[in-house]
Amino acid sequence: MSARSFGSLFMVASCAGAALGCYLVSLRVASERSALESVETRIMLAQRDLRMLQTEIGTRGRLSQLERWNAGAFALSAPAANQFLEGSFELARLARPDHQVDFKAPVVLASAPAPEPEKAPLGEAQPDESGAASAVPPSALLHEASLKTETREVPARTAVELPRTAGMKSADKPVTAAKPAHSRAADRPGLAAAQSTPTEPKKSVDKPALGNARPVTRKVEIAKTDPLAPLPRKHAAQPKESPPGR
Amino acid sequence: MNAPQPALVAPRPERLRLVGQRRQMLAVMHQRLMFGMVVYGGLIALIALRILYLAAFGDHAGRKEELTAFIPERGDILDRDGQPLARTIDAWTVAVHPTKVIGDKLELARKLAQLMPERTTEQYFAMLRSGKSFFYLRRRASPELVEAVNAIGEPGLALDREADRLYPQTSLAAHVLGFTNIDGRGGAGVERAFDDYLSDPASRGKPLVLSISSRVQQALQAELGEAMNHFSAIGAAGVVMDVRTGEILAMTSLPAFNPNVPGQATPEQMFNRATLGVFELGSTFKPFTLAMAMDSGVVSGPGQIYNCPDTLPAYGHVVHDTHPFGRQCSVAEIMMESSNIGMAQMADQLGKERQKAWLKKMGFLDRVEIEIPERGRPLTPGSRWGPFETMTIGFGQGIAVAPLQLAMGYATLFDNGIYHPPTILKVGPDHPLHPGRRVFSADTSYRMRALLRLVVMKGTGRKADAPGYRVGGKTGTAQKIINGRYSQSINITSFAGVFPMDDPRYVIVVMLDEPKATKETYGFTTAGWNVAPVVSRTISRIAPMLGVAPNMHREPNLSEVLPFVQEDKHSAKKD
Repeated sequence: MSARSFGSLFMVASCAGAALGCYLVSLRVASERSALESVETRIMLAQRDLRMLQTEIGTRGRLSQLERWNAGAFALSAPAANQFLEGSFELARLARPDHQVDFKAPVVLASAPAPEPEKAPLGEAQPDESGAASAVPPSALLHEASLKTETREVPARTAVELPRTAGMKSADKPVTAAKPAHSRAADRPGLAAAQSTPTEPKKSVDKPALGNARPVTRKVEIAKTDPLAPLPRKHAAQPKESPPGR
Repeated sequence: MNAPQPALVAPRPERLRLVGQRRQMLAVMHQRLMFGMVVYGGLIALIALRILYLAAFGDHAGRKEELTAFIPERGDILDRDGQPLARTIDAWTVAVHPTKVIGDKLELARKLAQLMPERTTEQYFAMLRSGKSFFYLRRRASPELVEAVNAIGEPGLALDREADRLYPQTSLAAHVLGFTNIDGRGGAGVERAFDDYLSDPASRGKPLVLSISSRVQQALQAELGEAMNHFSAIGAAGVVMDVRTGEILAMTSLPAFNPNVPGQATPEQMFNRATLGVFELGSTFKPFTLAMAMDSGVVSGPGQIYNCPDTLPAYGHVVHDTHPFGRQCSVAEIMMESSNIGMAQMADQLGKERQKAWLKKMGFLDRVEIEIPERGRPLTPGSRWGPFETMTIGFGQGIAVAPLQLAMGYATLFDNGIYHPPTILKVGPDHPLHPGRRVFSADTSYRMRALLRLVVMKGTGRKADAPGYRVGGKTGTAQKIINGRYSQSINITSFAGVFPMDDPRYVIVVMLDEPKATKETYGFTTAGWNVAPVVSRTISRIAPMLGVAPNMHREPNLSEVLPFVQEDKHSAKKD
């Protein structure tokens, strides 16, 4: 009864409440919007300040000013054409690793004649590429010695011996004279063919020039034995390692 | 309720009449009342609805309009990399309202003279007593000055903010940009050409992007300025252009001015030598003659032989060479040694009509097509264009064009023979590439590559070579007309270069006006000695920026031309 009599009142109240709710929502929206606008305004002001600062920095650091500083203080210049690299290979070429000088090299030099020691380091540089630093110095020394020795007569002997030397590599240390030659030959692919025919290693190229001095060379052979004594150890040690590696 | 009750008794007639009248009156009143109420209620409803609408969707009192983005008073001008070349900033102005001054005017005049010494105390005092209502004392005042003026505390002094145009790079590309006058309207260059765009509120929010690259511009301007000082030239001009699009990457004219203070510039500084000035550019024209001759079938190729005597008498005049051959020589040699005699014969074979048609096609007979308003009209022999003039035009004398036009010609020649009008705006979505039109055949364009590379490798332009960048080009030394006669000692030297020559991308044209000889040039004032080194240095600087990688192993196909060059000749010349 009372509920029905108050029905219209409820209606009015609920309508008023709904209207109020709607109004509150719109008020909220309006306040949010105004807050957003104030943020936008601040962004705009910040943009204006940024622009002003950028303009100032740009003006103070203008290109003609930089050029003047460069002329006066920095002296930087445009890179030259050879300072540009085309790829990783060219870059890698710049960083070629330095080969360490083997402390054993001087020992070899001591036994050699006076002019040789200077050549030894030069000889080392080339073999470096192969990566076997210690193997090279002795072979460089051997190079000259073998030249004199001249295997002209030897060929017949060595040809027969070659298989032996190969077999000895693994076991015998003293035979090193032939060995170093072999190891070198392996390093230089271009001479691989030469290896088979003369049976003597790469030195074959040098042989023709010194071929005339056979008797002298034989005497030298005797002299060789002394310097070879320290060498074989090196060679013997390395070849052992190298076969598995290669 | 108000309706009259029916009468229970028959009323008297007059009363009946009265009742009828009354009812009528009441009905009318009722209607009026209702109408008024409806109108009133409608108005209120309207207002209420409007209020509701505003509450829900409307603007509120604090809302500002158009503040969502910053729009400058005048549009910015940017270079192709987005670096600002011109901007509008808020600057302080100091002004005075003499009628509103309340303090001691003499004292105020003294203080003003102390702060702003450009006027004397007497002048300030006269100004204050003049009775006029307003004077500007200083525009674009520094903040320190504004503070000091404010500290005087005189209400008659007005400190105000005003939009002001600032060119942050000062004189960089000044002739391209132009300047604005005191009212903020464009006075020259891009500022004038695009004045409407820059000042229209609808478009000024979007910056104008030029094709200029400020770094390339700086390199060109610095190298050219150095050469100009070194050779004591009276002026210089330079253009760097993109061959494929016709975009101008750098364009300079020296002496330059500072667009921030255009009032201080002299007419000499204001003069744009790159577009407005026209010059006889001499031998740099020869490649065009050769290309015309090859395209017309007059010259079959670089191996064609011409007779090159020491002097060539023709049509009542005599043509001379600086390095006379005195023998038969090939087209490649004519190009390499820049022989006037050889070129004159080629032009003669080509003939006047064909030459005119070609020049018209290349745009050398009209004003250069460019957006900026300072454009020079080329000078040609006009009605005196006879067979001898055809010959002289063949080697670049008797026709005067703007350096920009020369660059445009080279761009046409090396963009497979297609002409794109030069533009100062960056080519992109807003400014699409002009389709262009074909002028030379692609084959001619290709064959010219090796010929111009030969000039730089073995000919007159050796000092223009930049190692690794395959520069090709042509030197040009033209005698200047002084008092109506060609001077023997005063020259205009120019060089037009293209790089990299195996795939042409950029054209560079530099010009020096009246360079003097120095010790290093052994007394020569020819182009090979003074402008060619500028080209070499500039290309070494700008090519890496432009993405041209140096390569020592690439060259254009020189086997096309080398067989036609006599070895003894050039080896003797090298010495």
